[in-house]
Amino acid sequence: MNSGPDSADVFLESLGDSPSGETSAPNTIARPLPLSSFSSIPYTVQFEINPESTAFITSSPGSPSLSATHKESLTLSSLELNLRHTVDFRAITYDGTIDENLMCPICRCPLVNPVLTDCDHIFCRECIGDSLSHSELCPIDRFPLSLKDLMKAPKMVFNQLDSLKAKCPCCNIAFARSMLEHHMEKYCPESLVRCSALHSSKKCAGVVKRRLSDQGCLHYQVQCPDCMETLEQAQMEDHCHTVCKQRLAPCEHCTTIILRHKKVEHEESCSEVCRPCQWKEYGCSYEAKQDNLQLHNDKCTFKLFGAIAENIKKEVNDLRKEVGNLKETNHLQERRIKFLESGQKASEKPFEFMDSSDANLSDTANAETLDTGHEYLLSLLEVQQNRISNLAAELSELRAKHTVMLFNETIPMKNELAELRSTQQVTCMHVRWLMRFRMQENQRRFGGGPGPAPSGPDGGGPSNEMPLGRRLSDSMTRDLITKL
Amino acid sequence: MAFATKRLGKELAKIHGNLPPGITLVTAEGFQEWLLDIQVLDANPIYTGKIFRLKFKFSSSYPIEPPEVTFVNTTDRPIPMHPHIYSNGIICLDLLGQQGWSPVQNVESICMSLQSMLTGNTKNERPEGDAQFVASNRRRPRDIDFYYHDNTV
Repeated sequence: MNSGPDSADVFLESLGDSPSGETSAPNTIARPLPLSSFSSIPYTVQFEINPESTAFITSSPGSPSLSATHKESLTLSSLELNLRHTVDFRAITYDGTIDENLMCPICRCPLVNPVLTDCDHIFCRECIGDSLSHSELCPIDRFPLSLKDLMKAPKMVFNQLDSLKAKCPCCNIAFARSMLEHHMEKYCPESLVRCSALHSSKKCAGVVKRRLSDQGCLHYQVQCPDCMETLEQAQMEDHCHTVCKQRLAPCEHCTTIILRHKKVEHEESCSEVCRPCQWKEYGCSYEAKQDNLQLHNDKCTFKLFGAIAENIKKEVNDLRKEVGNLKETNHLQERRIKFLESGQKASEKPFEFMDSSDANLSDTANAETLDTGHEYLLSLLEVQQNRISNLAAELSELRAKHTVMLFNETIPMKNELAELRSTQQVTCMHVRWLMRFRMQENQRRFGGGPGPAPSGPDGGGPSNEMPLGRRLSDSMTRDLITKL
Repeated sequence: MAFATKRLGKELAKIHGNLPPGITLVTAEGFQEWLLDIQVLDANPIYTGKIFRLKFKFSSSYPIEPPEVTFVNTTDRPIPMHPHIYSNGIICLDLLGQQGWSPVQNVESICMSLQSMLTGNTKNERPEGDAQFVASNRRRPRDIDFYYHDNTV
């Protein structure tokens, strides 16, 4: 890519919407090349910090509903690293062919902010504005026209334009045009965000690709190993890909021009690099380029042997692993045996040992027996603990059993009780009914006559008799109940 | 420059794709000056077998302002004989003046207009006062207020 006609071609590949340009652009250098005449990036990034959001962050921890706002402030502070990207829709590449009717006749791009003229033509607002400042005629039919005659284009035109698939200038993935700025602001891994050290003590005001933002602050000076230029680490990748004067170098083996940066990746796939035979470790010393190597592989004398050796190797490894496992279990068992032995010794004379423990403590030579003593005691403790826990478990089990048994027995009793109570009530009712019957009979008999007698003409008479009679009837019922 | 560059980039892409018959792109180095060849396709005896070279000069306010279009004279590319074309290559065409220009015009449409201007011509002559104009003119073509004295051609 020197200059001359080539430069124009490259420009087309990076900006134009011709299908040939899209397909022929090489993957490694698909981004616009920094050539002198058109090194512009088709989007701008707004750097100024939004004063409102920062104010919110600083004030939120002190606000009364702390827990509620804290979460929000956290998400905001991570959003804080996002930058607003203003994309120049005239400079980006669109996916596929675009309907000629959606093109502005002046800038020959898909319309941006379209307006409708009195004479039913649609232009970008910016384009027609420029044109009218030059001459107040419609550029198409020369109909007299002024800025105030322009009106917003129909919604349908906007919708059609919004749904055009535009390629993200950073990651080259196609999105609906209306979503592009949002994508770049929030999601695109290749777009710029503020340095993650913005809120830390460093207060770094730099920008970095979102993809690299979790690597901490990359805004420190380094030297390009190829061209010796000093630059920031954050720009190193771009520099190696597009800017560095030494970025291109021929491959040592196949002489195609490659990016220095991609040398390792290239050599892995380069067909001209000499590689050893795949049975090298079994003694084949043959080395050749990829094509010849494949031929060699078929007739290599180590081919048979290699396969067998590979199997043996695998088996040996398996056996080694098994041996290791066995060793480990063996070691464990040995320790167990030792422990049991020492435990047995101690149990033969536990009280003796306990008595002389003071003497042992002072005697450093007897450290081992002390240790085993301790171990023994600990083991005893453990055994006891186990027993206790067993007992506790049993106890709880028993308790549960008992409660269940109790329940089982009490429930039928309760039922019986309830039954009895109901029968008793029924009998009570019967008795009462009978009693009332008897009382009425008695009253009739004691009163000596029918109804008029108790409500006699003299007022005192019945009042004296009634309590007596009632008392009588009361005692009668009591007697009857007790008899029953 | 940005606006003109973008627009010319689009045009160049289209020109690389396909051009109408009789128009060929010679060079388009950068976005200031392009050279195109045009020829008249029908049997007009004045122009048969001849190819003419056009030079386009774009200002930074293209396409709001017209480009400067002239014929250039080289060994095998003569200046066409036409009552509106001076012998120094300056073209008297309202389309290319400040008044007649429209931003919807483009390189291709200019070439086609010139093609049809030559095709429709029957007079094998130069404009009136050609020698005097060529000798005295120091102005840029687009600043000249042509007097369109013969609107029949």
